[in-house]
Amino acid sequence: METFLKKTFPWYGWLLGSWFPVQYRKAFTILFLTVLLYAGGGVVVPGFLTLEQILLTLKLAAFIALFGLCQMIVIVAGGGGLDLSVGYTATLTAVLTASIMDGRNAYLGIALLVALVLGLLVGFANGVLTSYLKLPPLVVTLAMADILQGIVNAYVAGKAITGRPSPVLVTLAAKLTGVFPNILFVLIPVAVLAILVFERTKWGQVLFGVGANERTAYLCGIDVKKVRFLTFVASGVLASLIGLLLLGNMGIAFKDMGSNYVMPSIAAVVVGGVPLAGGGGSYFGVILGSIFLQALTNLLTALGLGDAGKWLGFGIILFAMLSVYAGNRRSR
Amino acid sequence: MVILEARGIRKHFGGVVALSDGNLRCRQGRITGLLGANGSGKSTMSKIIAGVYRPDGGEIWYKGRPVHYRNPSEAKRDGIALVFQNLSLVPDLTVWQNVVLGMEKSRGIFLDNQEAKQIARDILSKLLPGLDITRKVYELSPGEMQIVEIAKAIAERPQLLILDEPTAALEHAQVKSLFAYMRALAQSGVAIVFTSHRLWEVMEICDDVTIFRNGATVAYIDFDQEEKDPETIISHITGETVRSSPAERTFGEKPESREVLLRAHIRSKVKSLRDVSLELARGEILGIGGLAGQGQNELLYALAGSFPGVQCEVEIEGRKIVLRRPQDAIQNGILLVPGDRQKEGLFLEHSVYSNMVFPKFGLSRHPVIIPEKKYRGECEDIVRLLSIKVSSLDAPVSTLSGGNQQKVVVGKWLSFDVKVFLLADPAKGVDIGAKRDLYEYIRRLARERGIGVILYASDHEELAQYADRVLVMYEGGIVAALTGEDISEETITATSVRAR
Amino acid sequence: MDAARKGIVVLPFEVLKRALLQPEASSLLMFFVLFGITAILQENFFEAKSIVRTINSFAPLILLAMGQAIVIISGGIDLSSGAALSLLTCVLTTVMKKDDPITGVYALILAFLVALGTGVVNGLGIGYLRIPPVIVTFATSYAWLGIALFLRPTPGGESVPWFRVFYNMRAVEGVPEVLKSLGNYVPPALLLIVGACVLWYIVSRTRTGRYIYAVGSNIESAYVSGINTGKTQMLACVLNAVLIFLAALFFVGQNQTGDARMGGPLTLRSIAAVVVGGIALSGGRGSVYLAIVGALILGFVGRIIFFANVPNAYQTLVSGIIVIAAIAGPAYATLRRELR
Repeated sequence: METFLKKTFPWYGWLLGSWFPVQYRKAFTILFLTVLLYAGGGVVVPGFLTLEQILLTLKLAAFIALFGLCQMIVIVAGGGGLDLSVGYTATLTAVLTASIMDGRNAYLGIALLVALVLGLLVGFANGVLTSYLKLPPLVVTLAMADILQGIVNAYVAGKAITGRPSPVLVTLAAKLTGVFPNILFVLIPVAVLAILVFERTKWGQVLFGVGANERTAYLCGIDVKKVRFLTFVASGVLASLIGLLLLGNMGIAFKDMGSNYVMPSIAAVVVGGVPLAGGGGSYFGVILGSIFLQALTNLLTALGLGDAGKWLGFGIILFAMLSVYAGNRRSR
Repeated sequence: MVILEARGIRKHFGGVVALSDGNLRCRQGRITGLLGANGSGKSTMSKIIAGVYRPDGGEIWYKGRPVHYRNPSEAKRDGIALVFQNLSLVPDLTVWQNVVLGMEKSRGIFLDNQEAKQIARDILSKLLPGLDITRKVYELSPGEMQIVEIAKAIAERPQLLILDEPTAALEHAQVKSLFAYMRALAQSGVAIVFTSHRLWEVMEICDDVTIFRNGATVAYIDFDQEEKDPETIISHITGETVRSSPAERTFGEKPESREVLLRAHIRSKVKSLRDVSLELARGEILGIGGLAGQGQNELLYALAGSFPGVQCEVEIEGRKIVLRRPQDAIQNGILLVPGDRQKEGLFLEHSVYSNMVFPKFGLSRHPVIIPEKKYRGECEDIVRLLSIKVSSLDAPVSTLSGGNQQKVVVGKWLSFDVKVFLLADPAKGVDIGAKRDLYEYIRRLARERGIGVILYASDHEELAQYADRVLVMYEGGIVAALTGEDISEETITATSVRAR
Repeated sequence: MDAARKGIVVLPFEVLKRALLQPEASSLLMFFVLFGITAILQENFFEAKSIVRTINSFAPLILLAMGQAIVIISGGIDLSSGAALSLLTCVLTTVMKKDDPITGVYALILAFLVALGTGVVNGLGIGYLRIPPVIVTFATSYAWLGIALFLRPTPGGESVPWFRVFYNMRAVEGVPEVLKSLGNYVPPALLLIVGACVLWYIVSRTRTGRYIYAVGSNIESAYVSGINTGKTQMLACVLNAVLIFLAALFFVGQNQTGDARMGGPLTLRSIAAVVVGGIALSGGRGSVYLAIVGALILGFVGRIIFFANVPNAYQTLVSGIIVIAAIAGPAYATLRRELR
């Protein structure tokens, strides 16, 4: 990606010279692309390049970034890890807790508990099947997604989903403080915490090691199976909690709430520079990737290309990035 | 008639010289044996002739013309076939499908399976009578798979067939059948190159022998004209090395106490390692020698609790424990520096610092937040101690030279309470300076801190220089123990080659 | 009893025992059991009309499962087959104009080319760029969805009347009587499936067929033996695309609409069908025809659920559980064996 940009904009190579710290280069590239996107979009579509629009983008991107965290945890640990059930876990949690909370704060605690338990169950199942039974994570989480969607469908069949999120959730997820979306008050601490955990705690370093070279980690005494199992548990719990936020944002629960987030969460991780084989990457990159993708979505919508353009765009970008990474691997 | 002649072949990998002067002559209808100790260059020679590697110097003449093969396919097209150990069989296809894989003939658009089966039957009925060619390859034993691999090469009707250690996986009866077939093949005019670590096999089947030592061809013995004398052959293999004369053995200070530090009993259900028992004294450097691939790595894995098919019970400092997982060994101070540093010892894209601190995180009582400053200080100390040449602790380990990488692999254990150090060929592919640094440091560890060291080195010269005692391994078991004056490169190599 | 006669008695048992030990045997067994249960539950099961209806409802899954089997055997997997199917239905119904019969021909040609295109793109990613099949087909599934939504933002579109020949020959006027009465017993869906079987039969007897198995079994060995692994995997993807194309013909013949989202659920079901049919996800082994058995098993389970008066909403739930059970079962058995 960098080399491509360097060829098209010769001064880019100068900008990203040897004085620029290595670990931030990929992140800067994505930021640059996003700026480019906005600049181009602002020219083509009037009203695109406004503060309001940008903040709206950030708000929607925050949700992608949160799901992206689930993916990053699973992907970083390697072994082909991928969690296609995240959006569906969120949906199920939203549907179940909506009627519990019923628009009041009183039962928020119980809702949180339910979300936690559900996330643990899903994560536990995913983890056992992939790590201990050694089934391919793709198929397992895909099947799990179907099961979760099936449960939602069954729950929903015949009756309307009742319930509203507690006002706390609504404030957190949907509302703004002035022009600033509150969800960012959730994302920023989560991001800081995530980056700290990844870079400065033993858990994060163990994850990176297991993903980078499973054999070396094993010989250093790490229980690789347990680590990968735990990543799925973490992903499940996180996804479930995000479901609460989704509920707060939408105001009601409906059966397709979370399913549209699965693809973007993976795309954000790939665009954000986290290798799909694991072992490296930064959550900061994932956040930037989410912003880029959301900006792209908005641009496509503004150009009248709607859903169709969005999915086609995602597909093409993901394919292109994967080709570039595959090319890099082969040229070494 | 000479079909292949190679003269003055040179080949190096990185800074390591594999061949400095390789010479080989193969005659039509003759079986040529290649002999030599580890690292002598014989395997490299086979691969160069087959087009797997390109030589850095020298000439190869095939059928009277000079040739320069860029890849194995080119050599194949000229009629040179190389058989490794099980590198090209597809497990889910049947024996006959594998034999013709890549060269199937067709009638119209459909495959001609009848002819394929006939080809397979023709070859295998003589190589391994009774083998059902309709069985799938994954059902076969390793010996049978090796035979099918050979049959596949023969099906290409080569004029020069190179067999690289084909008998390693074979049972005695299968070896007999193979030899009979090789004889017949040779009689039909094919030239065959045959390597084996079993000296008696080479003497039985080969018409002449080319012996390699230290990267050069040192002898050529034509059995039609000379006596088949094993002692002569062994002396060529081990040679009169000028360097490692007994006086060079640096005894250092012999440790006073010969207190037993470790007693290990290994019970194995796998073929690559037999039941083994050994003892290690405090401050002792126990060397493990033998030809490559005789189970040395497996022994070390077992001692480190990293070999699932094998049960290892140790008594260390009086405590009896069973090593079931790597953690068991690590917690008791038994630390492994694995054989393949890039695949097993390092995270190549991560920094030197990350690599060095990683094993600490496996300890249960490690704090959640990493005390970065403290660890950085420790790492800097270790870098200085081992003279690791690196620009900064944050440099990715992939940018380091082989020797410095190996120092990092050793260094990551130095902050632990080391009781026993297991080193699997630590100096392989390492430059002389780093090699010396490493070995000197390990010897200091042993002598000064009473740490026991089990050292496997494929280079017997290194073993001779540093080990107090040497166990020679052969086909998964220990066949000899050398002590004191008996330890020299020649004796270790001779014992390895002579083993049965 | 003399030795010869003993041999005659013993031999069949040995053959039977050996046959039952194959993984495929359990699939066939399951199939017969489910077939029986469905037959019992559904009163008019053996009537001609009902058989035709059964074949028709299972046809798309059967075709997709066969294609998926080919890709899986070659060492890949296709998460985009459902989306490709949807895309093709959209292409067909966008090009065709109800009143203009010749547009049907154009539609056929264009859809076929689009199908080949999807196969080539997937094959490029899997075979040549060597991107993990899981993720590359995940990406392309969204690309197909996007294009399909462009063509048909909402389900709809047009179809020429003669297109119904792919579903029901009697519904079309110009068809000769002979074919129509044939159509009573042998629905076009069955012909499509038979066509697919013939296609695979021919391919499996050629070099490509052999290489598909070789590459799926051990790609390095195949490469070292001189096989062009990229081309082989690409061809497997293209074959899959052709089968998806046939399924699209059936769907449009049946419904005369194009729908960008109809294929989604079928993707996982096709993978489930392959696994249930005894084909290993790791590739290199299994019979494509057994994917048909797998698809039928899934279909019958769905039927049984229907007859047990369980609401349709549970279909996805059940297929998810079946997939997990189908792949977990053998894995668990292997694990137990390894631990001993």
